[in-house]
Order: sequence, then C-alpha cells, then structure tokens
Amino acid sequence: MIALPNECFFKIFNNLWTDNKSLFSCLFVNREWCRIIVPILWNEPNFRFRNIKLIKVLLLSLNVEEQALLIPFKINLPNFPKPLFEYTNYVTSVDFYLYDGIRNWLFHHRYKVGSELEYGVKCSLIALLLRTSNRSVSKDPLPKYDSDFFTP
Amino acid sequence: MDNGTSNSASENETITLKSCDGIEFHIDARIANRYTLLNNWNGGESACIPNVNGKVLEKVLEWCEHHINDPQLNCGDDDSRRRNTIIEEWDENFLSCDQDMLFEIILAANYLEIKPLLDLGCKTVANMMKSKSPEEIRSAFNIDNDYTPEEEEQFRKENEWAEDY
Repeated sequence: MIALPNECFFKIFNNLWTDNKSLFSCLFVNREWCRIIVPILWNEPNFRFRNIKLIKVLLLSLNVEEQALLIPFKINLPNFPKPLFEYTNYVTSVDFYLYDGIRNWLFHHRYKVGSELEYGVKCSLIALLLRTSNRSVSKDPLPKYDSDFFTP
Repeated sequence: MDNGTSNSASENETITLKSCDGIEFHIDARIANRYTLLNNWNGGESACIPNVNGKVLEKVLEWCEHHINDPQLNCGDDDSRRRNTIIEEWDENFLSCDQDMLFEIILAANYLEIKPLLDLGCKTVANMMKSKSPEEIRSAFNIDNDYTPEEEEQFRKENEWAEDY
C-alpha cells in the first residue's frame, strides 16, 4: 500500500465521524491507525457519556487526588488495568449526558442515586476532565449546568 | 490577445506543466488560476512538478478540467464533518481506479493543495471502510495487525462504548 501521511488518514477517518461502528472497526486494524482514530472517537462522546462502559474508563483514569474525593464514600472504584491512552485528553465537549452516565453507573453498581456520593463522583470526574483536557472549548460549557452540578 | 473578459485567464489561454518524469501537459490557464500551487510551476522551460509523475498528474488534471466550472469553495468552510459521504457519479467513476492510483491521487492532491479532490479521495477511501470488520479492512488495504492479543483485548474493553449504539 502506498503510504499516506497521517493528515490524510485523519481526513479519511473524519468522514466516518458519525459512523461509530466503522470507526470502531478501523481502530483495531493496527496501532498506527488507532493513534489517529482515538482522538476522533473521544472528541465529543455526546450521548455516549450515558454508557457505563465509558464511565468506567473515566473512573480508571482518575489520579490519586481525584480518587481521594471519593474516599469518604467507601465505594469500590475500578482501578485496574490503567487505560492504554489518556483518553480524556481528547475530549473537547462535555454535556449533561455525563451526569446521566454517572447515575447509570451508580445504579448498575447498586449505589444510591441522588446522594452525596453522586455529587462526589461528579466532582472527581469533572476534576479529571479539567485536568486532562487539552482543549477547553466546549459546545455546551459546564457552567450552564452549575445549578444541577452543585445539587447533591 | 483578445481581452474580452476581466478574468486574468481567458478560455483560450493555456499553460504548460511538466511532471517529475518529464511529461508535458498543456492545460487551460483557468485551472492553474484556481489552484495556486499549479500556477507556481507555470511556464518555466525546465520547471517541473516534483513528486508527481505523468500518470498521476494526467488524472489530477483530468479531474480539474471536469470541475473547472464548479463554484469555488469558501476557504473558511472547512468542516468536513458536516458534509455527507455521497459522491457524484462522475467522480465515483473517475476514482474507481486501482487502489495504488487512488492513494497516489490523494497524495498529489494533498501536495498540490487541491482541496476538493483531496476531500473526494478521502471520502472514497472512507466509503471503502464502511461496515467492514477490522480483518476485512486489513486485507482490503494489505495491512498487518501489530496488536498483541492482550493489548487488543484491553483496548476493546476501553472503547467498546463506541460500538454500543
């Protein structure tokens, strides 16, 4: 195969941006493609933030300080293995679906939804996203949800 | 020369381009006017376009000629994500060449900054990947899998949310 520069592959994969299934397949072709696709896939998770599998990856990405926010609640955080990428680097937009995802994850693990724990998980994940996201521009900026965010 | 229009190039004006393997092409000057980089190689006796051979340049110029009357794209209009992956019939036929040639055209369009042709080529390759499994894509593009099984398994778990909907 004739080698194309990465910028061309980026353009190619960007065409599949709305076709996650195809993009997901391309991810497993080889490591080089994966490095180009991960930033596209994680750019705007949007409604996929509701998926507890995504929330699990976020929880796996917490650093010690962010995990410490959750110590008082004595919950079992997934902590192994550490993710292969710092995925949240590529997230450019966070929206309300993140909170749905947190509630879904808590519910799935039989924790109480609408509790201080939920507030704690929100705080630690927001801290993670603020720490790691390279680009702060967001389609739906977080402050819009402040009223909900500060409600335990 | 008849200066009937205010355009910098009239219909009958031609310029000469030379590929890296020395093949000359006489093309409508309006094409070179549209794509600045083509203009850079205009006319010079010994000037030739490096990196693009005659076979590929011929295809690129054929595409440019067919699209000579297309409206110019606004430079700021660069959001390829909002565009769909539908390709016009002529373009589809034009790019239904072998894969090496398709990639050569993409490379040349990228090099010569012929953005609409680059977009079209990328779209065509993207369409070739649609609804295929990783194995099918690998064999279509002759790529080796360099993941270890463990790595692939972990990577799948970390990204399977993307496949769920």
